[in-house]
Amino acid sequence: MRARVALAAVAALTVLAAAGCSGDSSPLPGRPSESAAPAPTNPAAPVDTSCNPRASLKPAGALPAPGRMPADSYMAVIQKRGRLVLGTSQDTLLFSSRNPFSGKVEGFDVDMGRQIAAAIFGDPDKIQIKVIAYDKRVSSAVDGSVDLVADTMTANCARWKDVNFSSIYYEAGQKVLVSSASAAKSIDDLGGKKVCAAKGSTSFDNIGKVAAKPIPVARAGFGDCLVAFQQNEVDAISTDDTILIGLAAQDPYAKVVGPRYTEEPYGMAMSNAHPEFTRFVNAVLAKNRANGTWKSTYERWLGDFGAAPQPPVAQYRD
Amino acid sequence: MSTAQLDRPVPPVAKPSGGVLHRVSRLRQTSPGRLQLILAGLVALGLLTGLVAGLTTASAGAGTADLGNRAQPLLVEAETIYSALADADTTAAQAFLAGGLEPTELTRRYEDDLDRASTALTSAARRTPETGRSADAIRQLSADVSRYAALVASARANNRQGLPVGAAYLSSASTLSRESLQPQAQVLFQAAQDEVDDGYRAARSSWWTALLVLLLLALLAALVLAQRHLSRSTRRTFNVPLVVATAVTLVLALGAGGVLISQRAHLTEADTEGSWPVALLAETRIAALRERGDEALTLAARSGESALEADFDETTGRLDELLADAAEIMPDGTAAGDSVRSATQGHRNYVSAHDAVRKLDNGGDYDGAVALAIGSRTSKTFTGVTDDIGRALQNRKDVFSDEIGAAGRGLGPLTVLGPLLALLVCGLAVAGIRARLEEYR
Repeated sequence: MRARVALAAVAALTVLAAAGCSGDSSPLPGRPSESAAPAPTNPAAPVDTSCNPRASLKPAGALPAPGRMPADSYMAVIQKRGRLVLGTSQDTLLFSSRNPFSGKVEGFDVDMGRQIAAAIFGDPDKIQIKVIAYDKRVSSAVDGSVDLVADTMTANCARWKDVNFSSIYYEAGQKVLVSSASAAKSIDDLGGKKVCAAKGSTSFDNIGKVAAKPIPVARAGFGDCLVAFQQNEVDAISTDDTILIGLAAQDPYAKVVGPRYTEEPYGMAMSNAHPEFTRFVNAVLAKNRANGTWKSTYERWLGDFGAAPQPPVAQYRD
Repeated sequence: MSTAQLDRPVPPVAKPSGGVLHRVSRLRQTSPGRLQLILAGLVALGLLTGLVAGLTTASAGAGTADLGNRAQPLLVEAETIYSALADADTTAAQAFLAGGLEPTELTRRYEDDLDRASTALTSAARRTPETGRSADAIRQLSADVSRYAALVASARANNRQGLPVGAAYLSSASTLSRESLQPQAQVLFQAAQDEVDDGYRAARSSWWTALLVLLLLALLAALVLAQRHLSRSTRRTFNVPLVVATAVTLVLALGAGGVLISQRAHLTEADTEGSWPVALLAETRIAALRERGDEALTLAARSGESALEADFDETTGRLDELLADAAEIMPDGTAAGDSVRSATQGHRNYVSAHDAVRKLDNGGDYDGAVALAIGSRTSKTFTGVTDDIGRALQNRKDVFSDEIGAAGRGLGPLTVLGPLLALLVCGLAVAGIRARLEEYR
């Protein structure tokens, strides 16, 4: 969304650091000591600035031809299985939601996954959608129950410790959705009000860090937050502006207000046991940024909200 | 009236100064005094027997009627509420799975389910006292059913407009159903089962019956002893009114015994052939609906095999046991037994269809899994199972009604006739002994 210069990356990192990073609250396999640690949702938890969350692994050379994945690579495992398993949600309109008419899950995130499937098989339909809860996004990638998570997922340092992220494919930032009758101009006007976010999302943690002290309320997903909002159980919903636009589109009595008060760079998460897969995904993303596929995907899903910006510039850590 | 009869011979002897014991011991020393004491004893025993005979039959009759008109219907209604709610939840999830506009037949089925649940709730409320476990469950259920219906209505309205938030409404509704409605219905079902057990206890009225038997024996013994005393102390061998009184007491004993023994036999039949199989089959149908719900919700969640699939396996295990139990108590050849066997076979077919659904879904063919799960063949197999169980259930309900009707037979007349016969015995005793007393005037 925003063109990014090298200098801005440092500033962005600081903003992100202020917003704080937090991993998912779900227990991870093989890391029992982690679960004994204090709850990661604690707003006072130390902020993790140990990395540049936007920097991923550099693609290694040219992409292999579809259907001819190098032996011993994780792509070959996927190819042999015959389908890519994509972990996502089914209630984030525009990014990954179930189309009530066809019953298919579709959106910007799903298309990102389909492009990876197309690069492996030459067929974007060789994909299995597996819906995962927000607080299971890291653990599902770690335990291999999905190959790839594309689910409006913010790349941050805490999560980088458990999973690899692709290069950033979308820049979002947290805003707030309120009733169209509300006088609130931003999250700072919502002190003492109930603000909903999905359990296990960075958005939920961020609400707890706002100085005006809104009351964070967790629901299983953002669709459930909209239900709570429409049933007057919460006063507002706060999460990435992209998700909020999708929610507001479903409720004419809701509006999205305020400036972005965090930066949420989206990356696709996958197990860090197969770095070659991360490099492969990054190569596909790089190709699609260059050949206009990213732009047409943006226009397909988000075109109603303005012209497509430049795609986020890929950053690499090696 | 009878106390007046009792008191009349006494006043000339009574002196205001002496104590009761003193007066009784003075009476025992004279022949007319002894006769007066015997008469007092017979009349007292007769009155008590009449009273207890009335109370016993009234209690047994009220218990039987309560069992038949309230406790057992409450159990049936609790099952209706539970299974209607479970079926509504499953149907709503299936309509969602179908995609697009929900199929008319599923919408109709969902509405029928809610109607059945609401109707059963209303009449269950009528059969339940104002306070207690059942009443709390019914209040909670009534409040939640309307919330549930509202959530599903929102889901459908959103779905019609193509808004994905409809799915979130549906999942809220389903959570409400599984976490509040169905557990409350289960509480009601268990409370109703306890009430049926209590109902059988009340209908048997064991303490009253034991007391009645003792009193009848005591009255018979007293009548025999009184006649022996009279035949020894007078020259007459038979005192005709007392002989008739003995015969009447025997008739009363035989009549009450016959009615009560037959009532207990029918109650036992109603319990073992009616209530117990009804409760078992009700639980079976609930378990079957739970399986189907788990399957639909697993597919709707689209997240592969989760806790719901584990619940499916657990429920299948329990359902197999329940069906085996049901087959044991409902033998081959009977209508209910045949239905149970057919349900067992149908359930086996359904579980293999379900395994195929899981295999498709786990293999990545989600659309194929959905098509198989809500397709007409699997639906027909499953409906066959619940219909078979329903038929067996209806058959056992009829048996219960027949037996409970037979159990109540004769209790009403006996409630009136028992005390009347006892009064007759008292009157005969007075007539028989007063004739002898007058000889001393």
